[in-house]
Amino acid sequence: MQDNTNLDLMQEKISILEVSNLTVERAGSVVIENANFSIHKGDYVGIVGPNGGGKTSLLLALLNILPKKEGSIRLFGQEIESFSNWEKVAYVPQHATNFDSQFPLSVRELVSLGRITRNNLGKTLKRSDIEAVDQSLEFMGITEIADKRIGQLSGGQKQRVFVAKALVRNPEIILLDEPIGGVDAKTQEKFFKKLSDLNIKKGITILLVTHDLTAVFCRMSKVICMNRFVNVTELNGDVEPEEVLRKAYGEHFHFVFHDHKCERVFEDE
Amino acid sequence: MNELFDIFSLFGFQFFQNALIGGTIAALACAWVGLFLILRKEAMIGDGIAHTAFGGIAIGLFFGVNPILTALLVSILAVLGISYMRQKGLAQSDSAIAVMLALGFSIGLIIISLAGGFNVELLSFLFGSILTIDQVDLIIVSILGVSTILVLGIFYKELLSITFDEESARLTGIPVRSISLAFNLLVAITIVLSIKVIGVILVVALLVLPGLSALQLNLSFKRTTLVAIVIGVLSMVTGVLLSAIFNVATSGVIVFAAVGIFLFTALYRRLE
Repeated sequence: MQDNTNLDLMQEKISILEVSNLTVERAGSVVIENANFSIHKGDYVGIVGPNGGGKTSLLLALLNILPKKEGSIRLFGQEIESFSNWEKVAYVPQHATNFDSQFPLSVRELVSLGRITRNNLGKTLKRSDIEAVDQSLEFMGITEIADKRIGQLSGGQKQRVFVAKALVRNPEIILLDEPIGGVDAKTQEKFFKKLSDLNIKKGITILLVTHDLTAVFCRMSKVICMNRFVNVTELNGDVEPEEVLRKAYGEHFHFVFHDHKCERVFEDE
Repeated sequence: MNELFDIFSLFGFQFFQNALIGGTIAALACAWVGLFLILRKEAMIGDGIAHTAFGGIAIGLFFGVNPILTALLVSILAVLGISYMRQKGLAQSDSAIAVMLALGFSIGLIIISLAGGFNVELLSFLFGSILTIDQVDLIIVSILGVSTILVLGIFYKELLSITFDEESARLTGIPVRSISLAFNLLVAITIVLSIKVIGVILVVALLVLPGLSALQLNLSFKRTTLVAIVIGVLSMVTGVLLSAIFNVATSGVIVFAAVGIFLFTALYRRLE
């Protein structure tokens, strides 16, 4: 059911992220309770669940933006509190594409901001940085709009630009928080195709918060289904989506899954 | 023809040269800092700090110290006070600015009453007196202005990143809190160095109008910055020259020139 099974078999299962007994609170309420899971290099993970189920909180905790109450998060083998190699990690926040449309920034300028690291603070970007920006624009297919102002972009173009900004850091893992809101189905489809390319061709581990359940079960290698409690399922041919999703969405949840939908996804590729 | 000759002859006078050099440095720093302030939606911090600086000017005049230096000290304290109130959750940004504005202005009023009133010198700081910039003022304005421009140039991309998306900037490893504080100190410095040029009351115009005009043109950030600086300097030079021709208050004409350019760019945007 997913398109990177072979990649998993080819790659050594290197653990990138290990979460043990994680509990997170927000405004005094527990939003994640006793979560335990591992993410391996090359995983393409969908994070699904009802609104308020703790999906964004999970990403923020994994990024050490939201402090945890209990448990441990190990990123690239290091405890998150002492982790410093943030160049390896890229994040596309939920609100990324909801910027002020009057902000005077070109696509190239925005993507260039992704090259800022702790090591080049106060220094001008080098030729290698500019080349990385060009490569990132090219990979995301947005070279022709590089000089356009970001306020003039369509929803689909904005998504690609923000992924290009994340990609320009040459990260090993990208975390995306619902970056496909407000765009049509075809644009979503193209976007998921690009993410699959990133995962397969560049070997980048992807964690994606989404409500597009079809994309998760057609394209991804793992699903984190959460509603305060976290259930992680490897997506192989034996998995029944409805069974997985009921753990988060409840017994009344009914998932209408069209087999031909997955086939169409692969045909487009 | 004689009037034109008189205008050109002005360039030979030290006071006029000081006015143009000091004014250009102030306009450049104000336009650059102001563009960031507009994009951070903090334009009123400029007005707040300028009014707070009034208290510093009064302290300087009262104790016979250079008022620019005391205004700088009080403005920096105001910036630190605003940051502290925001960080500790004592007040939102606009309320914190209002508190500091009122406090600074009140200090000024109390000192004026204690001194039994000041002479016209105080008015020159309220409304600006660019043509009275002396060598000492010019040295102070130059040091402060060039330092501000240098720091902005060095941390340009980090400041842009924070201005666009603070959370993402923090994740890329940018020390957001330190750079934001440093920027607010630059705002204080820029305002103080501009007080002699345009005055406490009108300094906000020099901060906001060039950036606002440049934003009408829908350019990239780099070009918007350059255009804002050009508009700021152009407003300044035009204002100084026109005020010399018509013998009217320089700061008022500078603001009128800046408003004129803003209206022109806004019209261009509508016609585009």
